[in-house]
Amino acid sequence: MASTQDKKTNSLLAWLDARYPLVSTWNEHVAEYYAPKNFNFWYFFGSLALLVLVNQFVTGIWLTMSYKPSAAEAFSSVEYIMRDVEWGWLIRYMHSTGASAFFIVVYLHMTRALLYGSYKEPRELVWLLGMLIFVVLMAEAFMGYMLPWGQMSYWGAQVIISLFGAIPVVGPDLATWIRGDFIISDATLNRFFALHVIALPLVLLILVFMHIVALHKVGSNNPDGVEIKKLKNAQGLPKDGIPFHPYYTVKDSFGAAVFMLFFAFVVFYMPTGGGFFIEPPNFEPANPLKTPDHIAPVWYFTPFYAVLRAIPDKFLGVMAMGAAIAVLFAMPWLDRCKVRSIRYRGLSYKVLLTVFIISFVVLGWLGTQPSTPELTKLARIFTATYFLFFIILPFTSANEKTKPVPERVR
Amino acid sequence: MKVLQWLTICVLLVPLSLRAAGPSLPLESANNDLQDLDSLKRGAELFADKCLACHSIKYMRYNRIAADLGWSNEEVVEVMSYGQDRAVDDVMTRMPEGVAMNVFGTKMPDLSLMARLKGTDYIYSFLRGYEYDPETESWDNRLLKGTVMPHVLESMERHSTEESYAQAARDISNFLEYAGEPAKLQRWDLGWKVMLFLLLLIIVTYLLKKEYWRDIKH
Repeated sequence: MASTQDKKTNSLLAWLDARYPLVSTWNEHVAEYYAPKNFNFWYFFGSLALLVLVNQFVTGIWLTMSYKPSAAEAFSSVEYIMRDVEWGWLIRYMHSTGASAFFIVVYLHMTRALLYGSYKEPRELVWLLGMLIFVVLMAEAFMGYMLPWGQMSYWGAQVIISLFGAIPVVGPDLATWIRGDFIISDATLNRFFALHVIALPLVLLILVFMHIVALHKVGSNNPDGVEIKKLKNAQGLPKDGIPFHPYYTVKDSFGAAVFMLFFAFVVFYMPTGGGFFIEPPNFEPANPLKTPDHIAPVWYFTPFYAVLRAIPDKFLGVMAMGAAIAVLFAMPWLDRCKVRSIRYRGLSYKVLLTVFIISFVVLGWLGTQPSTPELTKLARIFTATYFLFFIILPFTSANEKTKPVPERVR
Repeated sequence: MKVLQWLTICVLLVPLSLRAAGPSLPLESANNDLQDLDSLKRGAELFADKCLACHSIKYMRYNRIAADLGWSNEEVVEVMSYGQDRAVDDVMTRMPEGVAMNVFGTKMPDLSLMARLKGTDYIYSFLRGYEYDPETESWDNRLLKGTVMPHVLESMERHSTEESYAQAARDISNFLEYAGEPAKLQRWDLGWKVMLFLLLLIIVTYLLKKEYWRDIKH
């Protein structure tokens, strides 16, 4: 009985395989994708980002079933979801919490790359594709935050779009073109909805696909920064590699379960994230005639917002904010040290990276605060240290005093 | 290295623990209990009596309140609108918008989401924040100077005990917290069950991981 069942399965598989590279794709990317065996805590965040992406897609699809993308109805339709749609409140909170979770996971994922030099040769393209994902994700989150049409949705968008107006010559026309109107209005909401639910998710999906394909071409880095493909056994398999499935599928399942526990806690017991995930002013419908006392973007934008505010000139501020993101793209070429992992790198990189991370976090905090002369001074200092990381790095990394890197992973 | 890793994580989590601070007036704590159905019922009744004349809670329907607070549809309409509305109606004020504009010179805010916007402590403090000015012979609110809103609990402040005056403000705040998010009790009740399930899932996946990784030599 069992054998006839097996035969049937095998023949179906053979039929499929003759028409589609099913087994070979599975093997290449999962069952026979050899990953270093020494992944640590930091390596959970790649698969977790994928999990959050799926969460955003599924909950997002269900939200669009009840949401109304019009200035007259958007706010009420969100309350309709929260009150009258079956499980609407849960779906909405999973989506809003998912947005913040996405950035927490992605920021940690990027920190991992900085710690272990995952952006270095031959993984430059993996890093560039990852950075593109980050930029598209910010656009996606920004447009999504506008959809509930609350006060912060409206005024946050007002502030961000007006930044484009600071560009000389074409600025004002560009801002009008983006809004589709002279002020943020129904037209803006409608096009942002289109971009948020169709265009950007599509781009995101393609970029994530390419990010993984590029990674699997060059192979994963690891906490020791050792190239596992160098040492192979008699079968031609990396000595320090293990098949992704089942080893990392079970390990990542555990990571996913732990992540979901934290996620569930936020969804059920603090869905507004203490005013950081959903800002209180957003419970008031958008009112173009009433500017809130203090406009703060959502927490994941605040480091860059702080850079913007630190510069006295609006256009230069916009440039600095753009540069704060753009300079990250150049990481593979700014860091000239051959050693990947921070475990074997010199003191200079450790100090620089620590200062950089502290700058980023402090700027993030400053971005949530109303600006005062003292805080602006502080923002200028940390904006300077943020950029100093990228300016000093090419010089110190060129002849850094590194420790010997082991042949194999520990 | 481990130390540096944990330090990084801690530092990254710091901003999440800091509330966005702004200048604010000291508020009294409402100390309300959303699970106290009697308080919510009293709050609904007081709301209908003291607030509904001017303020709507347009995102609530009478029958939803009935279902959540344990009233029948007949009871809720009787208690909250003196039998004038149907149970399927939204909880709307009977004051026409034009009247509010003419009499008070402003629109009356809908209170559905006031608790989410300002917090229950604000509502509680606002209701109790009226101070009598003998010179102008009128009440003003310490949280919103020059407000057109009258001291709706004035008779309670004058004639009841401090205890029942505070309780009335607390019940209204409680009811508005409920009105701000009717699913809140449901999510509190479901959350720990989901988390318990995930805890079990963590144990199972951990053991599974351990079993599979037994053959990997480090």
